[in-house]
Amino acid sequence: MTQKTRYFMFASAAVLVGGLCTGLVAYYSGFGTTMFRQTSGPAELAYVPADAAVVAYANVHDVMTSELRRRLQEVMPPDEEKGREEFKSHTGIDLETDIDYVVASMTPRPGDQGRGEMGFVAFRGRFDEVRLEGLAREHGATVEDYRGKRLIRITKAAEATEHSGAARVPVLTFVEPGLAMFGDEAAVRHAIDTRADGRSVLDNGELMTLVTDVERGANAWAVGRFDLLAAQANLPEGVASRIPPIKWFAARGSVNGGVAGTFRAEANDEEAARNLRDVINGFMALARLQAGSQPELQGMLQTMTLGGSGRTVELSFAIPSEVIDALSAMSKGAHKAP
Amino acid sequence: MRHAQSYITSAVRVFDLSLGQMLWSRRSIFMALVVGAPVLIALAVRVVVGLAGNLQMGGGHVTGPAIFGGIIWGIYLRFAVPILAVFYGTGLLADEVEDRTITYLFSRPIPRGAVMLGKYLAYLACTVMVVLPSVMLVFLLIIPVGGGRIAAAFPDLVTDLALLALGLAVYGAVFALVGAWFKRPLVVGLLFLFAWEPVILVVPGYLKRLTVMYYLQALVPHAMPQDGAISFLQSLFRDVPSLPVALGALALILVGFLALATRVVERREYVLEQ
Repeated sequence: MTQKTRYFMFASAAVLVGGLCTGLVAYYSGFGTTMFRQTSGPAELAYVPADAAVVAYANVHDVMTSELRRRLQEVMPPDEEKGREEFKSHTGIDLETDIDYVVASMTPRPGDQGRGEMGFVAFRGRFDEVRLEGLAREHGATVEDYRGKRLIRITKAAEATEHSGAARVPVLTFVEPGLAMFGDEAAVRHAIDTRADGRSVLDNGELMTLVTDVERGANAWAVGRFDLLAAQANLPEGVASRIPPIKWFAARGSVNGGVAGTFRAEANDEEAARNLRDVINGFMALARLQAGSQPELQGMLQTMTLGGSGRTVELSFAIPSEVIDALSAMSKGAHKAP
Repeated sequence: MRHAQSYITSAVRVFDLSLGQMLWSRRSIFMALVVGAPVLIALAVRVVVGLAGNLQMGGGHVTGPAIFGGIIWGIYLRFAVPILAVFYGTGLLADEVEDRTITYLFSRPIPRGAVMLGKYLAYLACTVMVVLPSVMLVFLLIIPVGGGRIAAAFPDLVTDLALLALGLAVYGAVFALVGAWFKRPLVVGLLFLFAWEPVILVVPGYLKRLTVMYYLQALVPHAMPQDGAISFLQSLFRDVPSLPVALGALALILVGFLALATRVVERREYVLEQ
């Protein structure tokens, strides 16, 4: 072997080994469970239990001030504006300006063998707490103190729906100034406990890795256990047995002039993921072949991209502003027709 | 035992001699273009992302892992690996015959089969040491685009590297036999690559099991690119072998074709044209 050949082989091996070492270091340091604690997701995740099945977030302010909403408002019936005004006069909340973002969570109900679920939605914004409590009391709500928080029971316990032996009572509470929480009583109590105990979803490394991935640049996102959701959806046997074994899902969307989104699923194994990708690929190819004569649909389908590797399947899409304009025009036409 | 030792020593000597020849031949310019193009594409993507902030394709947000998966499928697996294998593999002995230098090799006191084995190993080292670093550079350049994380994509990179090395080894063995057997090996090799494999892969039935790509595709960890009708047909007649079946079949093809190639070289009488 000549000196030149030896040098070449050495340089080539150096690139390969250097790259592999970089990847290896990133792999072992990038999957720590604690490194995402301070950086990922909104602060309200401290209320979400560690065993949450689904966590979702939506930046209401971004959506309300988006170009898309402005366009949709033009074609919406005027009743929508009236309804918003009515809601404001009752509650003092202007949906357009008073809510910044919402965080929602769904958790399996303890002792229910994964069949039932409980959930809450946390609203970050500006609320008139006294006025809202008064309004609730006017409608028969009762108030109870729990760990220093006032739980406003919207419905009397006697009227609550019985579900798997546990009463589902909707409650409203203000857990912090500017943070309202609404949901099942059991879920809200559990959220308050979670915050006090300091053991939240922020300790769930797998879920927080997904949150870190989806939250960048998104107005709305949701992550969670697909298998738990499917188990609780009471799907017909024929349908349930055909769904590939998917463990996690993550969805993200960004709204501005148009809507762009990504849905990612993590299958139990690579074969299941490959099967799912093949099925989606086939459907997309079929849809593209059939949408040849419809330019709007064709444009939207062109933006759909199937990706993912290993156990993940990723489907991205975008609805460009042109398609929304075309739909708005169709809707306007439909309103004028009669 | 002594015979086997001598066989291996001979193969190593041929490997040593052939590696430099292959690496600094005119074919290497072609190889540099094939593996250099994806690196340049990756570099261009990084520049575009650096200037524009993010990468949009057809209005949609594209992530680095998705682009990397597309490059592995579209450039490396479907093009670079088979094309390098056909150009180098078919030329292992055919070049010596064409240059009329095979006499010098065969008149040495080394087994003819060891000549083929040594040359095959030189081909494998030469292509693997060029293709894999290229993949590595593309990975490091592309993955961070659009929020992709090197940590998350690393296990798939290891699969990709192993898969491409295996592809080079298996296709190399197939084309080594073609080069040892046929008079016009390059034409036969190109017909196999661009006529037999692509057509048979979209035809329903068992014939696709007579291709190398059928088994290699089963190992790819990335989503197959959506190229319209081909994706539709492939998904319609979907038949993906399991991992053990794919690995077993590839190992069988590799060993079988390499053994056949060495046997053909040992038995065949090469007549040099005047």
